[in-house]
Amino acid sequence: MRPCGIFDERYTQDMAILRTKQHWALLVGALILLYLFPLFGSYYLVSFLNNLFITIIVVLGLQIVSGYCGQISFGQPAFMAVGGYASAILTLKAGVSFWLALPLSGLIAGVFGIIGGAPSLRIKGFYLAIATIAIHFVTMWLILHLKITGATQGLNPMPPEIFGFPLDTDERMYYLIATVMLIMTFGARNLVRSKVGRAFVAIRDNDLAAEVMGMNLYHYKLLAFFISCFFAGIAGSLYGHLIMVVHPEQYTLTHALWYVGMIIIGGMGSIPGTFFGVIFVRVLDELVLFASPFLSEAFPWLGASPAAALGLSAFGLVLIVFLVFEPRGLAHRWEIFKASYRLYPFAY
Amino acid sequence: MKRKGWVLLFGVMMLALASGPASVYAAEKTAAFLDLTDMTGAIAGLAGQASRITKATFDYFNERGGIDGVKIKYIGVDTRYDVARALSAYKRYRRTPRLLLANTIGTGLGKAIYPLILRDKIINYTPGDGEFQARLGRTFIYSTPYQDGFSAALDWMKEDWQKKGNSGAPIVGFTSWDNPYGREPFRGGKEYAAKIGVKLLDPELFPVGSLKHDVWLNRLAAKGANYIYVCGVDPTPTNVIRDAYALGLTKKIQFVTDYWGPDRAVGVKAHAEALEGSVVVSCFSRGTDTLNHPIMTKIWKKYMKTPVNEMRGSASIGFSWAMHFIEGLRIALKDVGYEKLNGEAMYQAFMKLKGHNVTQGATGICDYSPSSRRMSRYVKFYRIQGAELVPITDWRLAPDAVSLHKF
Repeated sequence: MRPCGIFDERYTQDMAILRTKQHWALLVGALILLYLFPLFGSYYLVSFLNNLFITIIVVLGLQIVSGYCGQISFGQPAFMAVGGYASAILTLKAGVSFWLALPLSGLIAGVFGIIGGAPSLRIKGFYLAIATIAIHFVTMWLILHLKITGATQGLNPMPPEIFGFPLDTDERMYYLIATVMLIMTFGARNLVRSKVGRAFVAIRDNDLAAEVMGMNLYHYKLLAFFISCFFAGIAGSLYGHLIMVVHPEQYTLTHALWYVGMIIIGGMGSIPGTFFGVIFVRVLDELVLFASPFLSEAFPWLGASPAAALGLSAFGLVLIVFLVFEPRGLAHRWEIFKASYRLYPFAY
Repeated sequence: MKRKGWVLLFGVMMLALASGPASVYAAEKTAAFLDLTDMTGAIAGLAGQASRITKATFDYFNERGGIDGVKIKYIGVDTRYDVARALSAYKRYRRTPRLLLANTIGTGLGKAIYPLILRDKIINYTPGDGEFQARLGRTFIYSTPYQDGFSAALDWMKEDWQKKGNSGAPIVGFTSWDNPYGREPFRGGKEYAAKIGVKLLDPELFPVGSLKHDVWLNRLAAKGANYIYVCGVDPTPTNVIRDAYALGLTKKIQFVTDYWGPDRAVGVKAHAEALEGSVVVSCFSRGTDTLNHPIMTKIWKKYMKTPVNEMRGSASIGFSWAMHFIEGLRIALKDVGYEKLNGEAMYQAFMKLKGHNVTQGATGICDYSPSSRRMSRYVKFYRIQGAELVPITDWRLAPDAVSLHKF
């Protein structure tokens, strides 16, 4: 957000994410608030934020491959599973430190994404979506049938340690998860402003034109898949070590639908949109979680099931409303607000 | 309406919401039961009604003054069979005063929540994964372990085989969902089959959500199966037997399903002809037994507001959850009193339930004890006859197949 009257004079100014002193002050304030939160926030809120941050990492990956590169993917939960299992296997069976296992799990998920996504990249749109669903099922089948993954019983990764200090509570893991989320956001924000990011957008907007301009479509599409899966793998690793279990039932196709819904609500092709979408959906879901028992108690005639279905209905309704009235998502509203702020106090 | 009007309306609604339920239990002595159930997900058909009956049973006892003056606060949360959502809900409600038990539907969730259960020193219910019996802890299996039930079915098959004038033991096929639940009966069941000389074919596992099962059924038939044990939550087992009927297999192969098999108000209602003669092994009462249960029918009539003949098998599951909690609470209150009532007291109380006839016939005699996390060791066999589940045995002791497997 830039107030009225501030203009860029150099290219570096134009490229800067933080342009004014107020921006820096806001950032520092937000970071202080973020890192001090466990000191005054309740256990429930801290654990909620842990889940929120992990979801942001996964959806950032999806935003890159779908929002920026235009390749619809329903494979995020599967790639998250690959990251979670990779991290658990590396730490439990190979004795690798968590701190090495974390990036490795992202890389393994990325490579798995390339292998799984390679044939899919010759197809587009709905066909690609179906192919990524197939990848989900193949991955889950492998997890269920391999001995190394613990098959149906899953694995129990241990909490990470820093110099012998275990991060074995939600409050302790919070600092790690928040930090990783910030790093991944910084990476994603810069990636989409780079040559690679512009190539992704070109492919999304018109792949034929992009190819004619000399872009190697196959290379960039694979790269988008790799980066997306890397994000999912990192999130999977963090989640596994947070709840100390990786189990086949944790990674369902329903999650993939939620993730896609989040980027639609937040705004396709926007990093802030990822935050808006994830926060909006997760908070809505959490409110429903809170309201359902209350509703079935306050209005017994409603019954438990209809009250429970409220969450899904609310999600569906919100999605329809956004698709009809604001297909560019909350990020677009944010852009409109920023534009009007830039003109304030003038009308135009 | 102007913007201020909307804001005012929203404010009034929020106030109304915030002022409601807290007062209901504020002045009363309460103990809480957290039901992390699935009302809109993969097993909603089974879990949804079970949860409703649990709540109705608590309402029934609460209206009569509660358990020694303590009323039960039921907190039902729809987890959508989603581990992350269930964990979040647990963290939301774990500080509820005198939360004694969390009911977790799903093996994956049971495992994910266990560290939190240990930390909070409460107890939890989980389905029939034998591992919770093999590694004793604060998780109480709310059924007979799947491998024990399967082994009881193997005994019945052998008995039935010999009763029909055959010698030796039959060849048994196994088909199920390809997931942790679907594979669990084999962990100990396989060893038991070897022990009693039953030839058990390699399992034919199919993906959850499969609509046609001909391939797997034909494979088992080609290998000479005399009996086929089917797992999956209804309507899956019904669909498997429906396909077998269409292939003509039900004439030569006896089908037996596990606890979550054809339900009188679901599968049996839809495919009575195809299911005729199939057998269900269950650790919960089914069919006519459920319809004739005096307390369950009374609760159903009063709270469910639908005809009793629409009562499903899952009714006895929900009733069993509630009754075991009530019986445990009664013992805990007797042991420590209301002021000291906590999860630890409930844990100790649950281990004293062995030998109690907790559900008045909706399940077998309870087996919870310091050395057992099995709800019961008893199962009953039902045959589908004339679109109804009719008991063909009394409660029978199921073999201990859990101890045969190395976990």
